[in-house]
Amino acid sequence: MHRRELLGLAAGSALVAHTLQGDIAQAQEYFSTISVPGAAAGKAGPVTGSKGPLHRGTDGRLLRMGSLDLESQQDFTLGFRQMHARQIRVAANNAFQRLLEAEGIDPATPMSVEQVRELVAKDPAINFGVKCWLSNQQITWKTLRDYYHQNADYYLAEMEAADKSGPGALVLSPAMTIPDYARHEIHIQPGGYVGDPFAGHIYHYGTNSFYISQYGHNEQDEIHRSMAGQMPIPADGKVKRILDMGCGVGQLTVALKERFPDAEVWGIDVGGPMVRYSHMRAARMGIGANFAQQLAEDTGYPDNHFDIVTSYIMHHEMPADVTRQVIAEAQRVTRPGGVYYPIDFKSGGTRTNPRQMYSRWWDHRWNNEVWSLEYHSMSLTDEVAQRGFTQVQNATAALPGFGVRHFVRTA
Amino acid sequence: MAAPDSKRPTYATEAIPSDVKTGMFLGNPTLDSLVSCVIAMNAEMWSMRRRMKVMEAVMAKKGVTTDLIEKYVPSAAEKVAWEQDRDRFVSLTLGALADQGFRDFSTDFPKR
Repeated sequence: MHRRELLGLAAGSALVAHTLQGDIAQAQEYFSTISVPGAAAGKAGPVTGSKGPLHRGTDGRLLRMGSLDLESQQDFTLGFRQMHARQIRVAANNAFQRLLEAEGIDPATPMSVEQVRELVAKDPAINFGVKCWLSNQQITWKTLRDYYHQNADYYLAEMEAADKSGPGALVLSPAMTIPDYARHEIHIQPGGYVGDPFAGHIYHYGTNSFYISQYGHNEQDEIHRSMAGQMPIPADGKVKRILDMGCGVGQLTVALKERFPDAEVWGIDVGGPMVRYSHMRAARMGIGANFAQQLAEDTGYPDNHFDIVTSYIMHHEMPADVTRQVIAEAQRVTRPGGVYYPIDFKSGGTRTNPRQMYSRWWDHRWNNEVWSLEYHSMSLTDEVAQRGFTQVQNATAALPGFGVRHFVRTA
Repeated sequence: MAAPDSKRPTYATEAIPSDVKTGMFLGNPTLDSLVSCVIAMNAEMWSMRRRMKVMEAVMAKKGVTTDLIEKYVPSAAEKVAWEQDRDRFVSLTLGALADQGFRDFSTDFPKR
């Protein structure tokens, strides 16, 4: 079957199941149409005469990384994250506990971030856990970035070919002004979401290890598929259009399209490289999710357009005033009776116990979650409730430990 | 941020860089640097070990089994060469542990 015919099929369950089995032949056929200088025309497999990577096949719905060494380096950083959570962080917490005892501070005492910063300055050993974690994260990003930059022409050509393919649409806005708030290197990812042409590749493979300690593996989008499975639907059961704001690399978007194959599903993100990658990945899997480079606070969609509007871990990565604009936009584009379901951390307030505030501080300052303290200073739930939505009581969180925010757009 | 070596459109724009490399977490920037080096070296070491696993698995399919590798007995010449390399490796990587500095940076030459 020709690649374009294959990718032109609707995302029926049989095709998805076929794709999820990791069809190496399908992946190779897809890659074989890419024209790269030095490669023999129409020849599948390794690209000759260039720095092109090997095609190492698929692992379920995850395309294996282009080199064994890169895969092993990511394997190490995942393993180190696990060890860090089980051992290094425990030791650092013990050091923190000793400091509290020495200072005569009750571990449950609510503290401000300023108070915690002053406290931990008394024992640099407490920061050892943070330093280890950050170093490991830097290795995660650097090894990925170096790999894709070393093979830049190959992977850019691959995205160019995918840009024009289906089944879903891709809308890029290179002339769009990227607001400063979105240009930060969140998670210390070099270039952030907007500044590296391979932001999507780097984010996808790099964040696979993010969940390992608390939620387990996510190489098959297990977590995103679980969240999509728990997405509430409007009371009238009508789900024609879904919007995933701040979609990143489209893992939730794709999972929503898999759950609602007849719906028109859009994922939007401020990062051009992110939506390019999202689109390419979805097309590779034969899933017809659509992607657009767009601001969540100014989507451009018509009023009352979507039956479900959602987002995942977006709000804590934007200033509070932008969050309010996004909620207003969500209200505008959600139809009366439609669902608004933003998934994000619980809003913690400006004072919490010392250890939690310490975690929040270093994540904000050194993991470069620039807007997270602002996020915690407001109640996302209250902000949504004030803007034309009714909160559904007794709802459940799509992800354990996250805030529960199931809202219905009032008429 | 340095652009990759390609003339193709990237759809990327200028990011605002983090300053994580300027952070001093352990009271002494040298310690911070050493921690980074140690973790990076371990990433490389694991990468090598994992590649060896792959090589052994591939070789096993060709009849060179792990058992053959486990039971390999180096020749006398190999033993000597390997021990020399081991000693070189240990001395290079850990020899500084035997240096015990006691003179402060600011002190002048000792009396001869």
